[in-house]
Order: sequence, then structure tokens, then C-alpha cells
Amino acid sequence: MQNVFHSRNKAKPIVYHLRDVIRDRASEGVTFRLRVPSLQINQGEKIALIGESGCGKSTLLDMLAFIAQPSELAAFRFRPQPEQDAIDVALLWKKRHMNKLGELRKRYIGYVMQTGGLLPYLTVRENISLSRSVLGLPQDDTVESLARELGIARHLDKLPETLSVGERQRVAIGRALAHEPPIVIADEPTASVDPFAAEKIMSLFIGLAEERNITVVVASHAWRHIKRLGLRRLAHHTHRSKDGRTTETVVNG
Amino acid sequence: MRLFKSLRLASRDYAHEWQMSGCFVLALAAVLGPMLVLFGLKFGVVGGMLNQLIENPENREIRPVSSGRFEPDWFDTMRRRDDVAFLVPRTRSIAATIELDSAQSSRIIRTELIPSGAGDPLLPTDGPLPDGLAQLVLSQSAAEKLQVSPGEKIDGSVARRYSGQRQRTHIELVVAGIAPAPSFPRDGAFADVRLVEAIEDYRDGRAVPELDWTGAPHDGVRSYPGFRLYARSIYDVAGLKDDLFAQGVDVRTKAGDIDLVMRMDRNLSAIYWAIAIIGLIGFSLSLGASLWANVDRKRKELSVLRLVGFRTGDIVWFPVTQAFYTGVLGWLLAIGIYFAAAYAINGMLAGQMVEGQEVCVLLPQHFLLALALTVGAAVFAAGLAGWRSARIEPSDGLREI
Repeated sequence: MQNVFHSRNKAKPIVYHLRDVIRDRASEGVTFRLRVPSLQINQGEKIALIGESGCGKSTLLDMLAFIAQPSELAAFRFRPQPEQDAIDVALLWKKRHMNKLGELRKRYIGYVMQTGGLLPYLTVRENISLSRSVLGLPQDDTVESLARELGIARHLDKLPETLSVGERQRVAIGRALAHEPPIVIADEPTASVDPFAAEKIMSLFIGLAEERNITVVVASHAWRHIKRLGLRRLAHHTHRSKDGRTTETVVNG
Repeated sequence: MRLFKSLRLASRDYAHEWQMSGCFVLALAAVLGPMLVLFGLKFGVVGGMLNQLIENPENREIRPVSSGRFEPDWFDTMRRRDDVAFLVPRTRSIAATIELDSAQSSRIIRTELIPSGAGDPLLPTDGPLPDGLAQLVLSQSAAEKLQVSPGEKIDGSVARRYSGQRQRTHIELVVAGIAPAPSFPRDGAFADVRLVEAIEDYRDGRAVPELDWTGAPHDGVRSYPGFRLYARSIYDVAGLKDDLFAQGVDVRTKAGDIDLVMRMDRNLSAIYWAIAIIGLIGFSLSLGASLWANVDRKRKELSVLRLVGFRTGDIVWFPVTQAFYTGVLGWLLAIGIYFAAAYAINGMLAGQMVEGQEVCVLLPQHFLLALALTVGAAVFAAGLAGWRSARIEPSDGLREI
């Protein structure tokens, strides 16, 4: 299976390789199924998942961040760094090595939640530093310079509750980038902000990721300004069974 | 290091949410405080009554109902018993009186003579004992009337009708000590058995060569109409009473009172335990439920910690730390409630209690036991809840709100 990581593009190693990954979720008698027949994400790629809420975007992101377990899967490989061997995520899930998955997430992935997910009892500085401090990274000026680039430097010693929603999302982006991960996953990072601010924050985020050559997977429902930022749109379609009992979303790419 | 990080974050969260934390602490103290007061009352009331029973020698006393004939052999046999703490013969009560006079007092008082000796429960264990024919230990009331203090000399006199004429003899006595008021509230004088016997002999018209008192010579073995008998503990009273009854000696004891208090102790203990167990179950449930609910409430934040890479084990420490704070602070507050209540109750009932006795009492080990139970239950409930929330998929926790 090793060769699959070099099959499509020799210059750009593959970070994620998923084949026949399924996650089912039942809610009020309706089964929501997310099916990924095949998905490959290359290093440095910027991927956009566009669609209505509830179609399964978040589910895919959560699986890519190892915080949601696939119901069925044929292959799930993860290669965060080109010089490393691919890691068999399917096997880790099967053996329920939650702490190993947590280790991978901590080291290689930054995650921006739709609603910030900041810890209310920590200052902005501490929130951004959290991803660094769990890795034991040194307390250098990374957090300050990141905060300057995100335009929140003057808020560093405030608590999140004193910030506007948009500022909080900037802090969340800061936390996802602070430990310099090769991959950042963002679930509708600008959904709760007004369109004008949303566009600003999104381009700031993509710009920072671009500078750092970070692989980005972002979910959004607004394709228009994402398109301008040069992201690759992931094809997906959703269909409902005749009896209305199952809704299946298929993602390919 | 990771553990330290969890503890630090948990502490920060606890302090940041001080209002919520305060509510948990209050809720805990509201249940634990009254339980401490309840236990303090049970311990204080029954413990105090038992103590009074045990400490008051009156309750260990066994008195013959009517006079009999007890010979020295009987006293020797009885004294050898393990359950007998003190036993001396009594002479006829009419004969066991003496008139006392002192230089300071203008009046002569007639007092009861109480046969005494080593180990007399009515006299302080480390205090002076009347020894020989020239010493008395006066009851406080007698000493006050005579205006004497220990070491001073008093004059004792005994009258008799002998060979058709009234006679009176005097004896110089030393006040060896003064017995505390509670042990003998009336006028009385504790004397060596030999002195009591000598006075009886004189009254009966017999000679007492040691004191140069003239009279008829002694005839045969002496027998006594009664005795002063004290059991070793209140629990031995009933057994001694039964044995004496079997010997044909009818006695009067405080066995009824003792039984009453012991039965009250049992009944109060049963009631207390019923309340305590119900209270404890309620307490554990309320504590467990509130900590469980708190972990549920924090599930999103705990999931965020999972997201940035905290391990399952580190996550469990988070609620456990906070439960520990709640347990300790709640316990402290409960102790505060207890002390305030105990102070009020003890102050209210101080007038009806013996000096130094309190209605509501707890020992340091009771507080420590309460702490151990509280913190143990809190940490257990939070640990269980934390473990459960650490096991759910982080994505579920993140999407909850």
C-alpha cells in the first residue's frame, strides 16, 4: 500500500488517503450516512468542503481530525510529514488507541471550531499557547507575532468573554496555528460572523496557512469568496432515500 | 508535568467559575452541616449521660436494703471478686455518729461517720485518706460549719449510757482532708473502719484499749449489719446485685437508671443511624448528581482539551480536582455551620447542664472522618463522570452546544 502515496503526484506527497470510509449517524429515525469512496489530500493543498449544514461536512472533518470514529472503513492512511512512513489510522481506530490518535492530533493537526472552543478561564495568550504547551514547545514570541498577524495583539491578556465573536474566531485560528502543525482543519470558522468580517478572517486564515505551507481542509457554506482564495472544492452530493429514512452524502476527491 | 497541567487548568476553571463553584460548595455544606450537628447532638447528649453515669460513683453503689449479719470472712471473699471495686463494713447507723467541735466554731455539730479506706470512690483518688484512730476526712459542708481546713485539730466526742449513767468521751482528731462537695453533700466524716468500730464499741459499752476507753471485754467474732459496696463499673452492678440476691441479701442499686440510659443510648443510636443513613444516601446522591451534572456541563470544554491533545487520563483529573476542591471547601463550610450551631445549642442549654458538659460535641476524629467520606465520595463520583465523558467521542462533545 506504500506506493499509493506516490501514485498521483510525485512532487506532492499525499497526506490523507481514504478509501470506502463510512460513518452512520442516527437521529430521530433518520439515518445520516457519510460515504467517502475515495479521498486523497496532498501536502500543502487547500481543500474546501461546501454545502448546507447537516450534510456531513463536520463529520468528515472530525474523521480527518481523528475525533470521530468511522463506522466502516477499507483504508485510512495519514502521512503528516513526507519523510515519515504512512500511519494506519484504520488500525489505530480498530485497536481503540485513543491516546495515540490524540498524540497525532496534538502534534500534526490544528483544529478551528465553528464556535471558537476557547477555554473561558484562560486569557487569549494562554488559549493560543495551549496547543504549544501541551507539546512542551518553548515560550518564544510565536504567540505574539501570530497575534499581531491576526490583529488581536492588544487582546492577549484579556479573557475570551470580553472579545467579539470575530475576535474569538481569530484567537481560535491562532491556537490552531501556534504549534506550527502541517495540517489545519477548520469547521465553518466564519459561520457565526457577519459576511464582511467573515471574508476578512477567511482570507487572513488562508494567507497564514499559505505562508506556512500548511495543508488546509475547511468547511463552509459560502463558496463565492472561498473560490477567490484558490481553494480546491471537494465534490459531494447528497441524496435522500425514497422513504425518507436515510440521507446519504457521498464525498469524492 | 501533564498531570500538573490538568490540575492547573482545573484550578483556573474552578476559580473563574467561582459563582458556580460556590453553589456546589453551599449545596454540599447544606447537607453535611446539619448531619454534623445531628451527630454532635447524639454524641454529646448520650455520651454526656453515659459519662455522668460512669463517673458518678453513686451509680456503682450497692446498698443493702435491710440490716443483716456480715462476718469478716464474707468481706474477705467479696473483696476478692473482680467486679468489686470497694467494700468496707458498716456499723449500726445509730452508733455511727460523732459530735465534732473546733476552736474556731461556736457550735458543735453531730455528723454521720462513714467507714472509709483505700480506694473509696467518694474520695479523690489522689487525695488524703483517713488512716488510723486519729484522722477524719470531713465533707465540705461539715468543714464549713466547723471552719477548719486540712491539718487542723478538732475535738470529737461520743456519749453513752453505761452502767446506768451518762458518759461522754473525747478524742482528738486531725482533719486529714476535705472531701469535694458532690461526693457527700451532707455533714459527714470519713473515718478509718477501725475508728468507726471503736466508736460503736464504746457506745455498746465495750472496752477500747487503744483509746483507753473502759467497758466490757470483747466477745467472739464481730459481725456487721451492713456494708458500703461499689462495683468496678456500672456494667457490673446488675451481676453483683443478682449474686447478692442469690445469697439472700436484698440490695438497692441504680441498675434501673443505668439500664434506662443504656436503652436510651441504643434507641437514640438506632434513630440516629436511621437518620444518618438516609442523610448519607441523600448526601451521596446529591453530591454525586451535582458533580455528574457539572462534568456533563463541561463536556464541551473537556472535549476541547481532548482536541488539543490531552490524554484520557489527564481529562479524568480535571473533574476529580474540582470535586476535591468542592469536597474540602464544602467540608470547611459545614464545620463552620456545625460550630455556629453547636455554640448556639450549648449556650442555650448551658444552664441545664453540669459544668463543663456540652450538649453538642464532636471529636477531631469525627471531623476527619467526615472529610474522608466527603472527599472520597466526591472524587469517586467525579472520577466516574470524568471517565465516562473521557470515553465518549470528542466530536460528540464538541458539537453539543
